[in-house]
Amino acid sequence: MSDLAAPERTASAAPAARPKEPPQPRLSRKHREWLAAALFLLPDCIGLLVFVGIPMVLSVVLSFFQVSGFGSYEWVGLGNYERMLGDPLFWDSMKITGIYVLVLVPVLFVVSLGLGLLVKQNLPGVSIFRTIFFLPYVISLVVVGLLWKFMLDEQIGVVNKAFRSVGLEGESWLGDPDIALYSIIAVFIWVMMGYYMIIFLAGLQEIPREYYEAARIDGAGPWTQFRTITWPLLRPTSFFVLLMSTVAAITGGFELVFVLTEGGPANSTSLAIFYIYQQAFVFGEYGYSAAMGTALVLAMVLVSGVIFKITKGGRFDDGD
Amino acid sequence: MTVDSTRGVPRRRVLAGGAAAAGTAALAGCGLQAKAEGGPMQFWNFYAPQRSDDPALAAQSKWFTDLVAKWNASHKTKIELLYLPPPIYQTGSKLPTAFAAGSGPDIFLASPGDFLRYYNGGILMDLTPHMDKAAVKDYYKDALASRMVDGKVYALPMEVEPLAMYYDVSAWEKAKLSEGDIPTTWDQLLDVGAKLKSPTRAGIVTETKPGYLQNFLWYPWMWQGGGDVLDEKGRPSVDTKAVRQALQLWQDAVRLGITPRVPPAANDLIAAFRGGNAAMWQSGIWQVSSFRAFAPKFEYGLFKLPTPPGGTYKTALGGWSFCANAKGRHPEAAAEFCAWALGTMEEECLDRMVDWCVKAKSDIAPRKSVLERATRAGGYDQWAMKYFKDEVFPGGRAEPRYPPVIYKAMSDALQGAMLAGRSVDSETSRAAQSVEAYVKSYKGAKLV
Repeated sequence: MSDLAAPERTASAAPAARPKEPPQPRLSRKHREWLAAALFLLPDCIGLLVFVGIPMVLSVVLSFFQVSGFGSYEWVGLGNYERMLGDPLFWDSMKITGIYVLVLVPVLFVVSLGLGLLVKQNLPGVSIFRTIFFLPYVISLVVVGLLWKFMLDEQIGVVNKAFRSVGLEGESWLGDPDIALYSIIAVFIWVMMGYYMIIFLAGLQEIPREYYEAARIDGAGPWTQFRTITWPLLRPTSFFVLLMSTVAAITGGFELVFVLTEGGPANSTSLAIFYIYQQAFVFGEYGYSAAMGTALVLAMVLVSGVIFKITKGGRFDDGD
Repeated sequence: MTVDSTRGVPRRRVLAGGAAAAGTAALAGCGLQAKAEGGPMQFWNFYAPQRSDDPALAAQSKWFTDLVAKWNASHKTKIELLYLPPPIYQTGSKLPTAFAAGSGPDIFLASPGDFLRYYNGGILMDLTPHMDKAAVKDYYKDALASRMVDGKVYALPMEVEPLAMYYDVSAWEKAKLSEGDIPTTWDQLLDVGAKLKSPTRAGIVTETKPGYLQNFLWYPWMWQGGGDVLDEKGRPSVDTKAVRQALQLWQDAVRLGITPRVPPAANDLIAAFRGGNAAMWQSGIWQVSSFRAFAPKFEYGLFKLPTPPGGTYKTALGGWSFCANAKGRHPEAAAEFCAWALGTMEEECLDRMVDWCVKAKSDIAPRKSVLERATRAGGYDQWAMKYFKDEVFPGGRAEPRYPPVIYKAMSDALQGAMLAGRSVDSETSRAAQSVEAYVKSYKGAKLV
């Protein structure tokens, strides 16, 4: 009995070998892709969180405190915001910022677009001009400020010398409250026009050449070509330039104001961003400054939303 | 517990270690690390250590490095100098940001305009226990008063810097003016300025950019007519004839084209004089050492600030002080250092101050015995230094320690009247209202 049963027992103890399958990964392909993406994004997310997210939240929190700057924090609720609403200098600074943006952005847009169209042509030495126009953008704004401070000097500045050489009287470009803000705008345009020129150039080069050839065959002149081909097809680029230059105008004037005028003469160049800085670091009003900073961010979001609405986010399909 | 290296570090331990490292880094980033014990004291300043071709700057840097070397050689708690360029130190955000983050320097330099802000913020150490009583008495009353609260010294002045009017002698000669034409009244000042100005030369230059310096330069004109921002008891006193006439003077100087809206030659007095771009310039005694270093052969003159009708001569006395951070790592040692450096009757201390005031820089010494010693050593033999000591300094009054809100109210009035051409009356009234509102709610040490 035992002899007959033994093989059966042996067979049941060792099951039949299954066909070999590749080892199953612990995560599905989709999940692995998600993991890889997360790992690549992680450093940026940490950076964004530490250097943007947390400071922004802390800034909003700070805006509800009266802060001496030396370790004393006193809860004041909406006190800083109430103070802001009743502070004529804050409203003056917002008004100055409004003028700054309304003048700077359209002029910068037109100048940059004009330069983009110009350097797209196959003119002799065009690459040199592209470099020259772009060069100011790579210079530090502080250095730009110092440079223009000399050039705009009332007595020995090259700008007034040029005016005098053609029989015109010089101006006090940085000392006259009616002019100083526009001097800063002009310098900022000089700095930024090369950057936006490159952006426009990239947008213009995206437009297929065949469209222009077809238009020329149909007898369209340069203006018609611009109006019917270039302008509509540049919509995404225009949206980007408009949005970025608006944000740059609101936040980027600080260095120039700091170096050229320090908010003067008679507060005429005291942009909101400079006034906020002054309240925090000159007057030690960190809580109040945080409240104004929060208000400025909200204003920027609002302006960006309006631009988005007007330009339909740069889409071609009008959003329908 | 030991870790078996062949098996690697346990995962939980790695996570715990990582969290600790991240926490330490975060704390360091928040500036709390500065509160940890140990390490040398930090002395933030705008003189040293720096290498400069300018002999005056090199001498000032050496004075600081020698001072710190001397201290380090004889004291357990060492000092490390940290140089910040003057624009960053004086008007930048690095110092306030550091204090706000709890990582301010142990020792630093402060001007009177910053005094109340730091004192009211609990930053300033009482230096009195570390000083010789005789040294406290040795300081000129005006030099020390704005750095004291309730009889205690919270900052030690290293210098006194009075203001006067510099002029270019050759420009005067070309305009057929002589020493006899040196103005003693405001009207004469404007007349002479009008004669000296040309399309490329400013008649009178003074600071036009808003800031503590502009207010400091303007205060003596206000004081000369008997005006003040706050009276002796700290009560607002802005809305007066003296304030209005001082604002009017600066407005007239710009309106008549005598004072340019922006100082010429990038605000460099010597460059402007040498380039023929300025005829008169209101500035302080510190320019004497600059002339000594950069233009020893340039012929310049000096005169006291002219006075209004019925007025009394005044000038403003500025200058920086050593301060110790009460919230620093070594507050006691920092206070001891300040007193050791500038606040004893030791020969070495007196000699050191002489060196600073007449060799490294050109200043009036803030202490009687130091001024006498410097005079005996020939530090005031040169005509300009002698003029400042004997003629300009005696009519001096210390730079006020007004906090930012008061400074801003006066600055706005000055800017509005001088550069925007606004009514002097309305600017004065507006400043007066701001100052009154502030003083009503002010809490802290006495404003004057």
